[in-house]
Amino acid sequence: MNFLYPLFLAGIVAIGIPIVLHMVRQKTRKHITFSSLMFVPVAMSRFKNRSRIENILLLLLRCAIIGLLAFAFSRPFFSSPISEKDVRPAKRTVLLIDTSASMRRTGLWAQAVAEAQSVLQQADRADSVCIMSFDQDTRIVMGFEQWDRLESAQRASAGAEQISELSPGWAKTNLGHALVAAAEAIEDDEINDPQQSATARRIVLVSDMQQGSELESLGAYEWPRQTRLVVKSIRPGVTTNAALQLITDRHDLAGTDANDRPRVRVMNSSDAAAEQFQFNWAGGMTAEAPNEPINVYVAPGRSVVVRAPTTANGQPGRRLILTGDDHDFDNTLHVAPSLQQPINILYIGGDDPNDSKEMLFYLRQAFGATGVLAPRVVSHPGDKDIAAAEVAKADLIIATDPVNQQNIATLRRHIESGRALLLVMKTAGAGKMLADFAQIDNVKAEEAEVDGYAMLDRIEFTHPLLVPFSEPGFGDFTQIHFWKYRRIDAADLPGARVLARFDTDDPALLEIPLGKGSLLVLTSGWRRADSQLALSSKFVPLLYSILEFGGFHTRQQLQYFVGDSVPVLRSTAYESANIRIRKPDGSVISLDPAEQTFTQTDQPGIYTIESDTENRFFAVNLSAQECRTSPMPIEEIEGLGVLLDQSGDVHIGKIEKAQHHSNLADMEYEQKLWRRLLTALLAVALFETALAGWLTRSVPAPQGEQT
Amino acid sequence: MTSKAVQPGFNSSTAGMIDPVSLMRIKSMELRAKVIVEGFWKGIHRSPYHGFSVEFTEYRQYTAGDDPRYIDWRLYARSDRFYIKKFEDETNLRCHLLIDHSRSMRYGSIGYSKAQYAGTLAATLGYFLFTQGDAVGLATFDDQIRNYLPPRNRPNYLRRLMLALEALPDGQATDLGPALQRIAQMLTKRGMIVLISDLLASIDQLESDLGCLCACGHDVVVFNVLDPTELSFDFGSPALFRDIETGRDRYVDPASALADYKRKLTEHLDKVASICRSLGIDYHLFTTDRPFDLALLDFLRGRIHRRKNIRRRGGSIGRMNA
Repeated sequence: MNFLYPLFLAGIVAIGIPIVLHMVRQKTRKHITFSSLMFVPVAMSRFKNRSRIENILLLLLRCAIIGLLAFAFSRPFFSSPISEKDVRPAKRTVLLIDTSASMRRTGLWAQAVAEAQSVLQQADRADSVCIMSFDQDTRIVMGFEQWDRLESAQRASAGAEQISELSPGWAKTNLGHALVAAAEAIEDDEINDPQQSATARRIVLVSDMQQGSELESLGAYEWPRQTRLVVKSIRPGVTTNAALQLITDRHDLAGTDANDRPRVRVMNSSDAAAEQFQFNWAGGMTAEAPNEPINVYVAPGRSVVVRAPTTANGQPGRRLILTGDDHDFDNTLHVAPSLQQPINILYIGGDDPNDSKEMLFYLRQAFGATGVLAPRVVSHPGDKDIAAAEVAKADLIIATDPVNQQNIATLRRHIESGRALLLVMKTAGAGKMLADFAQIDNVKAEEAEVDGYAMLDRIEFTHPLLVPFSEPGFGDFTQIHFWKYRRIDAADLPGARVLARFDTDDPALLEIPLGKGSLLVLTSGWRRADSQLALSSKFVPLLYSILEFGGFHTRQQLQYFVGDSVPVLRSTAYESANIRIRKPDGSVISLDPAEQTFTQTDQPGIYTIESDTENRFFAVNLSAQECRTSPMPIEEIEGLGVLLDQSGDVHIGKIEKAQHHSNLADMEYEQKLWRRLLTALLAVALFETALAGWLTRSVPAPQGEQT
Repeated sequence: MTSKAVQPGFNSSTAGMIDPVSLMRIKSMELRAKVIVEGFWKGIHRSPYHGFSVEFTEYRQYTAGDDPRYIDWRLYARSDRFYIKKFEDETNLRCHLLIDHSRSMRYGSIGYSKAQYAGTLAATLGYFLFTQGDAVGLATFDDQIRNYLPPRNRPNYLRRLMLALEALPDGQATDLGPALQRIAQMLTKRGMIVLISDLLASIDQLESDLGCLCACGHDVVVFNVLDPTELSFDFGSPALFRDIETGRDRYVDPASALADYKRKLTEHLDKVASICRSLGIDYHLFTTDRPFDLALLDFLRGRIHRRKNIRRRGGSIGRMNA
């Protein structure tokens, strides 16, 4: 017979307690004080009496209760031989291989492959292995199931073959995410295969352990207590590594000086041996456009910001190349050419552009040129025909004067195609034009009688046009006074939605849906005679909001990192379904019309968005984090709760013991002898209770003075 | 002399008497004695024993030439007649109450100890005698005399006596010999000595010591006070017994020791009674559950019996002399 918890047998020692109690009670139970014992005969000696034990049967029953209790707690069972095969523990291993850009450093990848293959060679027949690669994302190269399906002799070679097909990419290192994914893969496999729940778990990490690895995911993850991390750290022979990073500042965005050279940060690794570097535009040393390279001195672990060298033509080049360090993978900085995006604004009205009392004057001021935008305001009288091509080219149309019927038809088609038009009611006569646009008989419009001034009230901040003003700091329109406005009844306009009202409850801004687009109606104007709108801080944002509401999109960023998702914006000019993206290696990827983002930014370089009418560019560079290649202290990972096992031996002795205990527990669970023992214990306890009760009743009550 | 052994549970004559347990709840010793004695006097008028007194023989009509000091003024107040109390020796009685305060007297199984019972009995006798105009003194002893109040019959002396009796016993082991010898030395005048004790001590010298007192002319009365349990010894199951007197523990099985115990106790009591009888001493054996009225009555009966014997003895002697 064996015991699952033999330590509980020590409880049998407690049998001595009732024995002692039965003897002690002889001594202390009854004391009587008497006047004189001169007539009391001398009886047996006290010591002889004390050693006498009364109620032997009761004592035996009590001893039996304690013995049975200790016996039951020790969980006895009848053992059967356990084969060594059952006892022997297996290992569940995840081989995690770093394929980030930093592994492109000289000689690192060959070391990593060799290390990974040696791990596979050491795997036992009973072991279960999963191979995963990671950079920014984590990918399963060979899963547990795939490993288990293979013949044991073929597993290592199949795994090595899969590893040989891997190569380092250009993405950054998200080590935290990879470790969490590996730990969860082990746990998932254990759930699927509960028979081997007692096996050793380990994650073998083959990585350069660079300082730029992201570990944030580990902070929110409770590392499994049974899983140990074995780190196979790969070190390069030479360590100096410098990198370039483009800095974007507000001058670049404003574009005040087109000839400004871009600013570049030069970083040096903390374990660098060299401190002197040079960088220049690619091809800058050609005979046609010679220019001097920039020499920079960067101490190890520090960074320096300098301007890029000038070029012969004054325009920045496409690539900056750094020289002077040991590793080239992060020495090229790609710079996308910066182009101003044109904006065409069609103003229908006969205003003098230089008359500060009219609206066109303020409109031209509002749409000034910036570094990335080049607005162009074109005014056109309303009573003359407007070419359809001119209308189609316009990103924003503002109508202030009455237009003829042909123009209304042209503009209406433009609106129905999904664009927006802002109709400003300068006079009450604009109601006729409004009725023509809305294709209703008449809209009653009249000059409102304003007592002093009117303010905007009840603004629909949830509307896309006014969402930019929904923040508490931007939603105050009370400082804009309207001296005049035209009163119309929104009920006259079918489907009209009032976006803002005056404090007199009359509509101030309305949206009338026409086809796919919208007609926006402003019942006042921004000329000085009508309101203070043109002078308020809300004027320019409101115009740009109307511009974007009409379908105009500012172009996307020019700089991205490897692995970023790039939004592909389809403005009027690029609305064609035939958008193609040419990658730096020359491959072309066609985007479906429904796709709004491009995610295959897997290599650095200049990407070209090709459409039927125009080509746009954006640059993809290495993440700055990935350029921090100095080794990371292993304590950083340990500090986030990861259990390390540098020796690679994951407490095999403990696991063997745990598995053996698990087998014994299964055996005991099948027999459940403790239940019978507890039943016997209850029976003995009942009998003991009955016997003790009977004995207590049969003892006569003592008399005399007792203490 | 009365040497009747009182059996435990004796209550054939206790009807109408004051229960000692109830009486002992009265805190004041003087009040306790007053209740007993006045109750006794009330009952005496309805009994055939009226007119009893310790040494008082009879009243006689005052005649010229009699000492006016012996006129009973209380009787004069009631009857408007002059009577003179006539005493045996024509003098006031000097009574010494000799009380055992040894450790064994602290034992009690019915709510109060033998010492408390002995004190109340002494207070009752003292109050009774004091109200008759007799001088009452007090001596407590264990193995020697611990406290002594000479016999007096002054105003407020009774209170002092009672306060001395209220004091709890704090004595050591009982040894009658030195105490009785010391009393014999101290008392130069004859009087009555009332010894109240459990007499649970060696009695080898008891006969000579009591004989010494008798030889000095003292009239000795012995009250042997025992707890009912000391007679019955019914303790049931075996237990560890502690001797109060010596402080020693002894494991005793009462069932097996009972017969031997009773035999030895009876021998002891018989021997004490025999010694008293041979010396002409009144010997009364009480258990502490006996009403005090009966104890007082027994005492007075013993006195009458003794007076008759003396008269009879005196008459026969006179006839012999003639």
